[in-house]
Amino acid sequence: MSGFSRRLENVLVATGGAGLLTAMTVDGIAVFGRHVGWPLLGSIEIVQAAVFVSGSIAMLLTSAMVAHARVHLLVDRLPAGARTAMRRFGLLLGALLFLALLAGSIWIAMDMWPGHEESELLHVPYKPLRVLAVGATAGIAVAFLFHAFRSERR
Amino acid sequence: MTADPAVGFIGVGLLLAFLVLGVPIGVALGCVGLGGLVAVLGLEPALIKSGVVMFETLSRYELGTLPLFMLMAQLCFAAEASRDFFDAAARFVGHRRGGLAMASILGCAGFGAITGSSLATTATVGMVALPEMRRHGYADSLATGSLAAGGTLGQMVPPSGALIVFGIITEQSIGKLFTAALLPGLTQMLSYLAVIAIIVTLRPSVAPPTARASWSERFAALRRVADLLALIVVVIGGISVGWFTPSEAAAVGCIGAFLICLARRRLSWATLRTALHSTLRTSGMIYVIIVGALIFSVFISVTGVTEAVGAQITSLGTSPLVTMILIAVFLLIVGSVLDGLGLMLLTTPILLPIVEQQGLSAIWFGIFLVRAMEIGFVHPPLGLNLYVIQGVANDVPLGKIFRGVLPFIAADLMHLMMLILFPALALALPHWLSP
Repeated sequence: MSGFSRRLENVLVATGGAGLLTAMTVDGIAVFGRHVGWPLLGSIEIVQAAVFVSGSIAMLLTSAMVAHARVHLLVDRLPAGARTAMRRFGLLLGALLFLALLAGSIWIAMDMWPGHEESELLHVPYKPLRVLAVGATAGIAVAFLFHAFRSERR
Repeated sequence: MTADPAVGFIGVGLLLAFLVLGVPIGVALGCVGLGGLVAVLGLEPALIKSGVVMFETLSRYELGTLPLFMLMAQLCFAAEASRDFFDAAARFVGHRRGGLAMASILGCAGFGAITGSSLATTATVGMVALPEMRRHGYADSLATGSLAAGGTLGQMVPPSGALIVFGIITEQSIGKLFTAALLPGLTQMLSYLAVIAIIVTLRPSVAPPTARASWSERFAALRRVADLLALIVVVIGGISVGWFTPSEAAAVGCIGAFLICLARRRLSWATLRTALHSTLRTSGMIYVIIVGALIFSVFISVTGVTEAVGAQITSLGTSPLVTMILIAVFLLIVGSVLDGLGLMLLTTPILLPIVEQQGLSAIWFGIFLVRAMEIGFVHPPLGLNLYVIQGVANDVPLGKIFRGVLPFIAADLMHLMMLILFPALALALPHWLSP
């Protein structure tokens, strides 16, 4: 693994992990607070945002590591050349899908941008989340393309 | 192109082809769904709908349930939970003929109540239990078969990852699904213990008895798992009686697992990084599948495939019982070439409305589907658990592992039939315990 890949992976794990640990802590405090009579108002909104961050990063990490689930029944029995071609076909389809999702995400973000979307209780703004969704989707598409063409060079 | 069931059927065929050709499952679902929506609705609505699905899926509160339970499992794994569960069970029943195989099943059930994954349970308990059984002269077929079958308990016993995914894509209560899985999980475990008892009665040589552990050794082993058992009881019990939601339970479970790791002096930065890395990688893989599946299910609902299949089934005039048996056979056939999640996400949008037309609930269908998925984990040609076990015991041929798992598959089929004949097996507990 190159130095850049390792650093990128560390950043993704740290960011996504921070999202997960935030969700864990806030939900834990909310449960405790509710049972002792000090409910943590708006905890769901914080958890939603934290889960959003960790979910986006998790998809990006999985794509960067090409760790997607696939059915191996036929592919593993193919000759090496055909196996590589199938792998590349799947990766290019992945890039196509996430480029389409990127287009859809940008479209929605542009539509909603002037609306000042925010959560009800804590007024957590949705703009950063939309930017993150667009960024993560673009990153996933790039990761699919990178691995598709990298395998071609091999 | 019009929104016609024929378009939907073409989409299903294309999806199957993509899956068999090794396209990532989430990508195959998403591409077919999005492509179908473009063909039926046009480019603009299809892109906007997929953009909405992407954002709404990621911003769902209950989405946090899955990674937090995974993190809990990773931390418990770091605390050597799988070894402790097997050791405790082995101290209590290991001296009986077939006792170590039974302990493997109990260990799988215990560790399954933490991992929620069939493959993880099979691999981790297998690494501990298989060498132990072989050292004590157990036949390879019984040792490997009981572990391959026992591992599937990880998929059924709450917090099952498959049930969380099912709850998210069908918008069903994950808490009710977990509660509904308790009795089927328990009866499944008992059926495996019964299979082992029958095998060792008929062929005593396959499982020699071992030395009986003293009561002090037994209590020592029990003390080692007491913290883990308490965590499981709090998490699953808390959901069942309504102390907290599944998402909150996952957070409470994670905090508990952190404390257990700390108390056992197993928590370090390296452990935490590994746990977070594995959790993010696996949950990212499942999120991509969920996003793809939701886009695919929009496509399926737009084309009216479900209504067409439902009308065909109604025209057959079969009873709900026969219909469900036919669906079970269909799931078992498709499940022999598709892995569990692929099977669930391909069939749920089509089969769930049909099942509901037969008067059965989505909660029951979730349990039934996961049960059918589990059988796919232990029968060829896919049978992923068989390969996992072979990875642990390289010198045991796959054929021998399959022969070993056959009696358990027979029990599985009977158990699946019981679930069809007696839906209350899954539905009674959520009904009694719903807050």
